[in-house]
Amino acid sequence: MENGSLASTLVFFILAAVMVVCSILAVTTKKILRAATYLLFVLFATAGLYFYLNYSFLGAVQLTVYAGGIIVLYVFSIFLTSTDEEKNRPIRSYRRWLGFIAASAGTLLCVYLFNAMPWGDAYHAKGAEVPVKAIGNALMSADKFGYILPFEALSILLLACIIGGIMIARKRR
Amino acid sequence: MLNLTLFVVVILTAIALVAAGWGIGAWISPRTYNPQKGEAYECGIPTRGRSWMQFKAGYYLFAILFLMFDVETVFLFPWAVVVRDMGINGLLSVLFFLVILVLGLAYAWRKGALEWK
Amino acid sequence: MFDFASVTGWIDGFLRSHLSSALSFFIECVLIGLTILVAYAVIALIMILAERKVCAAFQCRRGPNRVGPWGLFQTVADMVKILTKEIMEINHVDRFLYNLAPFVVIIASVLAFSCIPFAKGLQVLDFNVGVFFMMAVSSIGIVGILLAGWSSNNKFSMIGAMRSGAQMISYELSIGLSLLTIVVLSGTMQLSEIVEAQNDLWFIFKGHIPAFIAFVVYLVAGTAETNRGPFDLPEAESELTAGYHTEYSGMHFGFYYVAEFVNAFIVASLATTLFLGGWMPLHIPGWDGFNAAMDYIPSILWFFGKTALMIFILMWFKWTFPRLRVDQLLTLEWRYLLPLNLCNLLVMVAVVACGWHF
Repeated sequence: MENGSLASTLVFFILAAVMVVCSILAVTTKKILRAATYLLFVLFATAGLYFYLNYSFLGAVQLTVYAGGIIVLYVFSIFLTSTDEEKNRPIRSYRRWLGFIAASAGTLLCVYLFNAMPWGDAYHAKGAEVPVKAIGNALMSADKFGYILPFEALSILLLACIIGGIMIARKRR
Repeated sequence: MLNLTLFVVVILTAIALVAAGWGIGAWISPRTYNPQKGEAYECGIPTRGRSWMQFKAGYYLFAILFLMFDVETVFLFPWAVVVRDMGINGLLSVLFFLVILVLGLAYAWRKGALEWK
Repeated sequence: MFDFASVTGWIDGFLRSHLSSALSFFIECVLIGLTILVAYAVIALIMILAERKVCAAFQCRRGPNRVGPWGLFQTVADMVKILTKEIMEINHVDRFLYNLAPFVVIIASVLAFSCIPFAKGLQVLDFNVGVFFMMAVSSIGIVGILLAGWSSNNKFSMIGAMRSGAQMISYELSIGLSLLTIVVLSGTMQLSEIVEAQNDLWFIFKGHIPAFIAFVVYLVAGTAETNRGPFDLPEAESELTAGYHTEYSGMHFGFYYVAEFVNAFIVASLATTLFLGGWMPLHIPGWDGFNAAMDYIPSILWFFGKTALMIFILMWFKWTFPRLRVDQLLTLEWRYLLPLNLCNLLVMVAVVACGWHF
């Protein structure tokens, strides 16, 4: 359907534009909570992209973990900071250079990935939703391409995160 | 594809709901100016200090614990869908996962992180 | 049993026979949007009226009884009145975030609302991750509340928003885990399939003990998630004036008020869908005559009847128990509900794996 594919391409480019614009706004705004809000929009648009590609499980994960979890964590950490040094201190020049080098490295990496990726029509919506049963079976299978070991290892990672978070928060008290 | 279209329609509906309510409200409601109106509704006397104050670390701690258990829930959802077909293997495969996480919860409990101080 | 898909199918056929396919598709989208809008507003109005009537009954009062028969149009009058109130902004608010926050809260609420299967064939969004999707979108609302509290430049708003955020993220875990218990039993996350799977018996009977524990945990956590009493300390009016929406006025405040009541409705209807069969009539395996008789009651009545019962229980909670302190609230979640939920999940898996369910 010609109409449908045009509309879906449009949706893709709107989402991409939201992501680009909000990412730029997130780093240029002076108010820290606004930066978090723009980041939230970027995450929303990413979730939208997953829904657009019919990976609805991944989209819902993006909404729960990033929009609902990470952003709340960021906001709480922002509230932890004291506001006295909100006065804009001038950035020292060596930091400026470090930032410039990091940004250029990031840009180069992005350009390389852009070129290396076989695009084709990657940004067109694919067939049907990925069934959750398929994800579950892949996660639980012990075959060559199964993910049971990463799944169990993940619990240890989460345990480490819990312990680390508690240690840091207790030190601060 | 249909679900995506409906998704967009629902979001637009929600935006239209707020925009319509706000627009009608702003259109038919009166507007008056009064210097007292701009004051924060706090105590009646002029407010002191900024409202953006430093909060205690307890909130941060609960947020990080929430995030860990949230990620755990996310991984358990695909498991829950297939556990019926897997039978007793499903129980065994997740037992290790849950025991480790319960250890984390027990650690937090032991360290007093679950108390509000 | 009456299937609403026949109505939507008829509308679709009617439009397509008169108009081009693209135009009729557009009109259908507009119709869906309007239906959601009207249903959302009407349910909010009914919920607010019901809350006031039930509260009055618990306190031996009459409640609203002047506008229309038995005060039925009281909330409509309230809505018109709130529209005529000035929308004002105080000094030093962060205007962008202040105005953005109601959008975030309402979008989260409307998205969750449109996932509910109201009757046979009457459901807007039906993702195959349905249950999880509802949990995901309702977690967006927390961000809206935090933004509202911060941007208002008011200490009460700020404290209310922080309390609300801590409370909602904590209880979201319990909601997630109790939903997970039911997903283990049903083997699917799609809401329409979950309802269909309860054709032979509702899940609360099918999964007996673990399902019942999950049901109770879900109701407690759902009450806390929607900031309703006895967990209403984010907006404890005797200490925080109104919590995170103190500085909002007129219709701006109205959005929070409406979203709060519709969220309570969503919690009740999700409890209905997952535990009490949604729109599915009470079917008992083997009793064919009884099942056929139950099928004569339309599915939409089953859904709203069960949801009304759930809402009544939520209101009963609110007007019976005194408000918790913040430390009691967090202790209840992290020390009791969370371990209970994890154990309950394992019990449910054992029940399903050994085939001990009905």
